[in-house]
Amino acid sequence: MGKVELAGPGLWTTSVGSFPKPDYILKARSQFARGEIERSELQELEKQATREWIEFQNSIDTDLVVDGEQYRGDMVAFFAEELPGLEIGGLVRSYGNRYYRKPIATGPVGRDKPLTVDWWEYAQSLTDKPVKGMLTGPYTICDWSFNEHYATRRDYVLDLAKVIRDEALDLERAGARYIQIDEPAASTRMDELDLVIEAMAIVTEPLSAHTITHICYGDFHKAYPKMLEIPVDQIDLEFANSDYSLLDEFYDNPFTSFIGLGISDVHTHTLESVEEMAEGIRKSLKFIPPERMFVDPDCGLKTRTVDEAKEKLTNIKQAVDIVKAEL
Amino acid sequence: MALRSTVVGSYPKPPEEGQQFVVRKTLHALEKGDKTVDDLKKAQDDLVRAVIGEEEAAGIDLITDGQGRWDDILTPFARNIAGFEIGGLLRWFDNNVYYRRPVAVGPLEWRGPTSVEAFTFASSVATKPVKAVLPGPVTFARLSQDEHFSDHEAFVLAIAGVLAQEAAELEAAGATVIQIDEPALLDAPEDLDLAKRAIAQITSELSSVETILATYFGDAKRLGAELFDIEVDGFGFDLVAGPENLELLSQVPDGKNVQVGLLDARNTKLETVDELTAAIEPLVEQFGADRLYISPSAGLEYLPREKARAKLDRLGEVVKKVGA
Repeated sequence: MGKVELAGPGLWTTSVGSFPKPDYILKARSQFARGEIERSELQELEKQATREWIEFQNSIDTDLVVDGEQYRGDMVAFFAEELPGLEIGGLVRSYGNRYYRKPIATGPVGRDKPLTVDWWEYAQSLTDKPVKGMLTGPYTICDWSFNEHYATRRDYVLDLAKVIRDEALDLERAGARYIQIDEPAASTRMDELDLVIEAMAIVTEPLSAHTITHICYGDFHKAYPKMLEIPVDQIDLEFANSDYSLLDEFYDNPFTSFIGLGISDVHTHTLESVEEMAEGIRKSLKFIPPERMFVDPDCGLKTRTVDEAKEKLTNIKQAVDIVKAEL
Repeated sequence: MALRSTVVGSYPKPPEEGQQFVVRKTLHALEKGDKTVDDLKKAQDDLVRAVIGEEEAAGIDLITDGQGRWDDILTPFARNIAGFEIGGLLRWFDNNVYYRRPVAVGPLEWRGPTSVEAFTFASSVATKPVKAVLPGPVTFARLSQDEHFSDHEAFVLAIAGVLAQEAAELEAAGATVIQIDEPALLDAPEDLDLAKRAIAQITSELSSVETILATYFGDAKRLGAELFDIEVDGFGFDLVAGPENLELLSQVPDGKNVQVGLLDARNTKLETVDELTAAIEPLVEQFGADRLYISPSAGLEYLPREKARAKLDRLGEVVKKVGA
């Protein structure tokens, strides 16, 4: 298991993963989809946007930086596009008027080459702070795709786990000391939490980096404390959008891992005040000590506007500074 | 009567690859103020016409309008019931699909029909009978947040009261079959007794409509044969997510219809004619063709359009073959 090598008393700031794409990326992506520009042209713009987001995180002194995923469509499709055995499927609805292309497993899943290492190296070259390696977990890739190949979900998940493990090992070899393996789907079916744990063990067992998973959109009250058995060093959870109700669970069953404390709701235009956020951190410190606490938004910020995302991150940093001064 | 095919409700809104996604574009434009509510209605009318066209071309005997005007089965009704507000996003059962949770903030009052105009439109373009679909009162309550009643039973019965008025209006508009969806009941055996009373409130308002209580996304094992005490004319089961429902099927009382979901509405893999035939034949033997509907396991909206259409075509083909 890895350890945190960051300075200070704890309460480090980070982000969950995605940031909004500026208009020039959205435009270039649709131009690329229509065959009007080359991939290299799109990639230059994605690099520019990545650089801008790293510079922003540097400017607010973020402790653990993310690349912002400017080059990913969504967290499952990105892997499905690159991995043999997975195909990009047709449009299905996620909610309201939002749709995504749901991948289909049509053969055994494998990996020809690293998918995220180049981007991680590029992002790391732009900052002195550590950059997180960002992967989507095997259970979530399975749950958010169709399966035409595997006889059972378990077979599918365990094959994906080997692919994600190899990617994580490549990130580690490139120098990543913090690797996040997102499992937002982990809390969907309580009867499959054991499968989530089994698959994550395959991914994290050979790693020495500090490992993190992000879980959201589920019935935490049912998944806790069992979720503590997921073999990672840190679990990142959304607190702001449920008014910190998850903390109630920690009275009876202490939270024993490092935590990623989500203190800003990502599905609303409303900006929480610095004081509101600081109060959320203070409440949470009653259950988890600062040296095991990272602070971030509830979830990826990609559905916010660029300005909204920057405001939220700036307020988070200010709230953390206020509470740190009180320690 | 010959063996019949039906659908459970929803159908994909996106068009097949390469075609304009008019409904989505119109909704975006409506948000910006570049299109009107009438433009949206026209786009949705066109979608419903296309969906009914696909259902009829596949030979489906009892169709729906595909729910192309709805995001889910709850919010269109909640928006039209005084006392409800619309809250935040929550996961729709175990799917990677999210719905906005209705929040009860005051006494519930029916503001007039929600689904009748859409039903009348669908009937006018269809040559086959159209099944109307209503959310069940237990599912409605369990998937909502109650900030008013603070008593689950009172909340469920208040919802049932409103839905009873909706059902009566559907019958007046010519509906001959109404399906009541209760997927949440599968995980709530403690609500079974309440469900009996609440659903009786709805069905007792109806004189000649055939009613079906639909469950999906799991098995009804925990409810057991007591489920059949609910006053409806038929029961729907998902045999893909709930293979154990097969056992319960042997306990369906004489005189009740069954709707059996055999094609996976949540996976693109297409069932073969042979495997479907093998599953249907014993059911025909058991119930007789006239009490039996064959359907997908749930609404088909979880699939891309082409894949949903392939499931419809397969369903129509197999039912025709076995029924002959």
